[in-house]
Amino acid sequence: MTPENNPHRCAGISRRSFLADTGMGLTGMVLGSMLFRDGARAEESAWRPPDGRPHFLPKAKSVIWIFLCGGVSHLESFDVKPTLNQYAGKSIEETPFKGVLATAEKDIVGGNPAHGNRKVIMPLQTGYKAYGDSGLVVGDWFQNIGSCADDLAVVRSLWTIHNDHGAQLTWQTGRHPRELNHPTLGAWVCYGLGTMNQNLPEYVVLGVPTGDCCGGAFTHGAAYLGSEYSGVRLGIDPQKPLPFIRPSDAAVTAEEQLQNLSLLGKLNTLAGIDYPDDQDLRARIKSYELAFQMQTSIPEVMQLEKESAATTALYGIDKPESKAFGERCLVARKLVERGVRFVQLFHGGGGGGEWDAHADIKANHGKLAQQVDQPIAGLLKDLQQRGLLDDTLVVFGTEFGRTPGAEGTGRDHHPQGFSAWLAGGGIKGGIAHGATDELGFHAVENRHYVTDIHATVMQLMGLDSYRLEVPGRKRLEIDHGQPISEIIA
Amino acid sequence: MFAMKLSRNHPQKAARILVGALVFAGGLTAFATPTNKAALERHYDKFLTKKLSRCTTCHLPSAVKEPESLDDFPHNPFGDRLRVIGEELVSAGKVKDIAVRLALVAREDSDGDGFDNETELLAGANPGDATQTPSTAQMAEVKERAAAFGKFLASYRWQPFERVRRPEIPAVKNAGWVRMPIDAFIAAGHEERGLSPRPEAPKSILLRRVYLDLIGLSPTPEEQRAFDEDSSSDAYEKVVDRLLADPRYGERWARHWMDVWRYSDWAGWTDGKQVRDSARHIWRWRDWIVESLNADCGYDEMVTDMLAGDERAPDDPDALRATGFLVRNFKMLSREQWLEDTVKHTGQAFLGITIGCAKCHDHRTDPISQAEYYQMRAVFEPHQVRTDRVPGELDREKDGLPRVYDVGTDAPTYFLVRGDERRPDKDRVMQPAVPGALCGDKLKPALDVVPVNLSRAAAAPDRREFVIADTIAASEQELAKAREVMGKPDAVKEHELALAIAEAKHAALLAVIRAERIEDAGKKEGDEWKGAAKDVALKQSNVAVGEARLALYHTTLAQQEAQRAGDALPPPTESDLPDPYRAARDQAEAAAKKTVEAALALAKAEEQMKAEPTTAFKPRPKEDYPATSTGRRLAFAKWIANADNPLTARVAMNHLWLRHFGRGIVATPENFGTNGARPSHPALLDWLASEFTASGWKMKPMHRMIATSRTYRMASTLDESDAKIDPDDIALWRMPTRRMEAELVRDNLLYVSGALDLMRGGPDIDNMQGLASKRRSIYLRTAAEKEVEFLKIFDGPSVNECYQRHPTVLPQQSLALANSELTQAQAKALAKQLGDDAEAFVRGSFQRVLARVPTEEELRTCREFLSKASDGGRARENLILVLFNHNDFVTIR
Repeated sequence: MTPENNPHRCAGISRRSFLADTGMGLTGMVLGSMLFRDGARAEESAWRPPDGRPHFLPKAKSVIWIFLCGGVSHLESFDVKPTLNQYAGKSIEETPFKGVLATAEKDIVGGNPAHGNRKVIMPLQTGYKAYGDSGLVVGDWFQNIGSCADDLAVVRSLWTIHNDHGAQLTWQTGRHPRELNHPTLGAWVCYGLGTMNQNLPEYVVLGVPTGDCCGGAFTHGAAYLGSEYSGVRLGIDPQKPLPFIRPSDAAVTAEEQLQNLSLLGKLNTLAGIDYPDDQDLRARIKSYELAFQMQTSIPEVMQLEKESAATTALYGIDKPESKAFGERCLVARKLVERGVRFVQLFHGGGGGGEWDAHADIKANHGKLAQQVDQPIAGLLKDLQQRGLLDDTLVVFGTEFGRTPGAEGTGRDHHPQGFSAWLAGGGIKGGIAHGATDELGFHAVENRHYVTDIHATVMQLMGLDSYRLEVPGRKRLEIDHGQPISEIIA
Repeated sequence: MFAMKLSRNHPQKAARILVGALVFAGGLTAFATPTNKAALERHYDKFLTKKLSRCTTCHLPSAVKEPESLDDFPHNPFGDRLRVIGEELVSAGKVKDIAVRLALVAREDSDGDGFDNETELLAGANPGDATQTPSTAQMAEVKERAAAFGKFLASYRWQPFERVRRPEIPAVKNAGWVRMPIDAFIAAGHEERGLSPRPEAPKSILLRRVYLDLIGLSPTPEEQRAFDEDSSSDAYEKVVDRLLADPRYGERWARHWMDVWRYSDWAGWTDGKQVRDSARHIWRWRDWIVESLNADCGYDEMVTDMLAGDERAPDDPDALRATGFLVRNFKMLSREQWLEDTVKHTGQAFLGITIGCAKCHDHRTDPISQAEYYQMRAVFEPHQVRTDRVPGELDREKDGLPRVYDVGTDAPTYFLVRGDERRPDKDRVMQPAVPGALCGDKLKPALDVVPVNLSRAAAAPDRREFVIADTIAASEQELAKAREVMGKPDAVKEHELALAIAEAKHAALLAVIRAERIEDAGKKEGDEWKGAAKDVALKQSNVAVGEARLALYHTTLAQQEAQRAGDALPPPTESDLPDPYRAARDQAEAAAKKTVEAALALAKAEEQMKAEPTTAFKPRPKEDYPATSTGRRLAFAKWIANADNPLTARVAMNHLWLRHFGRGIVATPENFGTNGARPSHPALLDWLASEFTASGWKMKPMHRMIATSRTYRMASTLDESDAKIDPDDIALWRMPTRRMEAELVRDNLLYVSGALDLMRGGPDIDNMQGLASKRRSIYLRTAAEKEVEFLKIFDGPSVNECYQRHPTVLPQQSLALANSELTQAQAKALAKQLGDDAEAFVRGSFQRVLARVPTEEELRTCREFLSKASDGGRARENLILVLFNHNDFVTIR
């Protein structure tokens, strides 16, 4: 699909011309020319800011980026290891695979003292089955997602660089938390492609994000790309979709609001001349345009009672345990349907994250999986039946896996090997790519750092991350990552 | 990890062996990653390859599965050489510092493979293993690496766990630019990176910046004019001095420190009957913060009183307020969580150290063992919270002073296996101590704990004179109430009986107090006391008689009522079953029985009165507390609030800097450890810390130094060439642009229209009144589920933790400023004050809202807006509303 024949795209409108022609037309200004980044700096080099057009043919137009906070066990979800049942209760050293403890070069996070003590193998805490034509094996906690197996491309060979929950930030930006904020994938996608619907934020965050300990607002931030590309958190409450959504003075008319907005735009432009590189000013101007539109667009999106009973049941909204996450998934579908570029869906956020099953993983994962399994499967099926799955890329991720060795009745953090999956726009379904060793300890085959997922998403969205680099902000090769071509259709 | 295995299986033995063998100067207890390994990593920093961050860099691989001593885990030639050099240093009376030892062996070739130790270390080959030699490719890079490493060694070393040593003020080329020592450090950074600093900001911008920064309120038009017209060379310094002396400074900066110290009002359910977090009246701690800042109390004193005010000054209710810092952690549902929060946030707030990570395991990146975590917990184990009465209010739900106290040392602190409260290791009772690695070279991990003897007033707060006086006054009030209704015709007898009781009670109360005073004077059991005690007993019997009389009166009335009800029934008929009669008869009988019982009770009470009085009286309900406090917290506080503590002053100064410039010198103010950010200006932070402690930990001089520096006074405008070199302005070539914190947005909306109520202090205001109240935002209630939505939208502080704010730009903020009743009402109010003349209106509104005069272009645009409108009054209100929404309103340039 090209941008030109994308029905959700305003014909021929690029991000830049959007700013100049529509949004800023409203306030009567040409913002682009006053901005240092777009102006002065660009004149001196070959660099140009993105114009909102993809760099090559995109296979998807929107991303739903699901993130489960705390670290989901890869061993009992999408990288099932029956070997653990075979050696249950034995020390890793007593198995034929004791070599996993000595592979220094793979110990990417440096000495994790905890692993010294997590050597006694714990059997799988749930069953597993093969699903669909592909025969993809999925743990029983995720049976509904399992039923969509033929749509999934599971990546079983991920690794990350932090052995604590700061890895949640790493998943979003590719960087260690000590390096503070860097643009998230969502910010890059929106920076590169811009909006398809001026009435809604292009980057929406649903659910409770990562706690302040582990990245906080940085996990949906845009860092140096500027606040205008950071995620906008929305609550799901039809009674109160947004605070202050209507003027408290009922006498205020839309026309009056528009006149005020126009004056505000002129005054901000005049005052901003001395600060041509002020990204917050630019973001604030855009947020006023958007806020004005959101007064009507947001209540419409949050009206879930108009959805059919079949639809709400599909998402598990009729069950108390899956209601909350089901509603988020349904809203995510409505948002991409309306052209929102990037929806970041958090589950179990706050603090280190709910999936952090150091104790009683059976109860922890069992309960939490009930909250998300049907909603996520419902989302995939609903996107499918509405013909949206071809254009929408769904990604399911977490910050790291969990140790094959027991930590009491739980499993510890495991950054050396873990899984994620992708589905939808441009993804080959029904495959498992890469592998961990027999114990699920190290990623051994087709190893991928977390930014390889980012690169895959960028590729499917038609973006070349190198061409988006901002002068003076050199990104490392590992920040860009490598697209995982094997899972791209 | 070898040490891990040791410590987990044989903790005591491991401690002995490792403390003996591996500890280097500074006194690290070595449960965690072996300290020499950590020291090696610190010394070589990023120049050490991952492959060499291992035990085997200095040791031979162990042949023993569970090595228990160095015999099982011997040194390789390189490690052995380091050991020998260490011994030589010690015998020469020197400190066997790892950096010194590594420097001494750098050019040696310990393993004899033809490459010197440092070359091998930099190339990534093991210097103690002759089979490992650098490859040709590695050698090609070594020269460059060695040069970079040399430069790194020569640069200012950031050693946050070592005692602060005052660095030299750098000599810079741009000496004329330096106003304050701070500027020299900043200028050195400019020169190193080829940056040219921005010139001084225009007067109007500078004035608004420093007003908002120091008192949180924008300058009034009069203040703008006065500064503009003051052409004296120290016009600006005078403003800074005036603002620092302004009591609104305390309110502005209290909010910053309340972020760091996790201020929270009480949270709970069922209309406040159940307090789950923090405590009622914790606002007294907030007021203490404001007052202490305004009085420029030393930070060391403030920290001491927050941790141990009840031990330092047990009889000073003002100091007791400070312990709100600890009270705030109260958690009704979990003592474990309560103590966990206390340890974790004490560590993060004052020491910038994430000690909370060591609850379940040794800290994975910083030198803090799990045992040390529990030693620090032991400091807090004895403390509990209570609410003391305050003068004028006996009901502690209505008012009181929440504070901490120690219940004694009965509760042991066990080492919790894996941090699991269900798995205490009863063989390991932890004693209060502090992490060894944070002691620098002058302090000791063992705390000098001296129990504190408390006064009678502190141990028995209800025996204080004002509580007695308030109790008597309350009793007098009851008496007056009883007298007031006397003579009213409705229930003459009842009122008489009630008055008799009130009088008897009052007399008994006075008698009890008399006896208590004798007791308090230490004369209990003496004749005087015996007489007084008998008097109490007699008077209390008198109360009992009065109460029995009233009870008898009530039962008699009830009996008569039951009788009347039976008589009033119609005569029974054939069809009517006798049930109602039976019921009436039963009731009458029961009432009669009660009357008999009441009469007997009265007789008994009267009997009692006639009997010879004894000294056994009923004492007043009282709350007694231990007469000593353990002194653990005071000892701990003295360790923290100590100029020799490596972290305290650095962390405090970083917080100060962060709030003046929008970014800390260490960008992670709550984490100075390995996982925290590297400082942008380590020498400057050390200098500030040293200056701070040297000048008695006073904050105002530090604020003054910062606010009057050349660095602070720079414009925030763009320099294109600087922006290319340092786009994030890490080196501070310009003043960073900031956004107002949530509280400033709300306060200034009210202030510029003259509506802000500047009353200071007092109880928290209901958070639902956030838009209606005119008080400063610091006084609005903030607690879990009790937050002001408007403030939350502007990234207000998280109640859980907020070591720094992360301002965002979001459409929700636009809606709040455009649509809320607060902005709309203030726009109307301000519009009324500025007259009808269009030009004067525009000029006035710019000065009030944005603290500057409009440009000609702005004036023209606004006049056009006003003239086009059909409703002039409405347009003027809208203009103000637009200025509230102007980028320049929420922005601090």
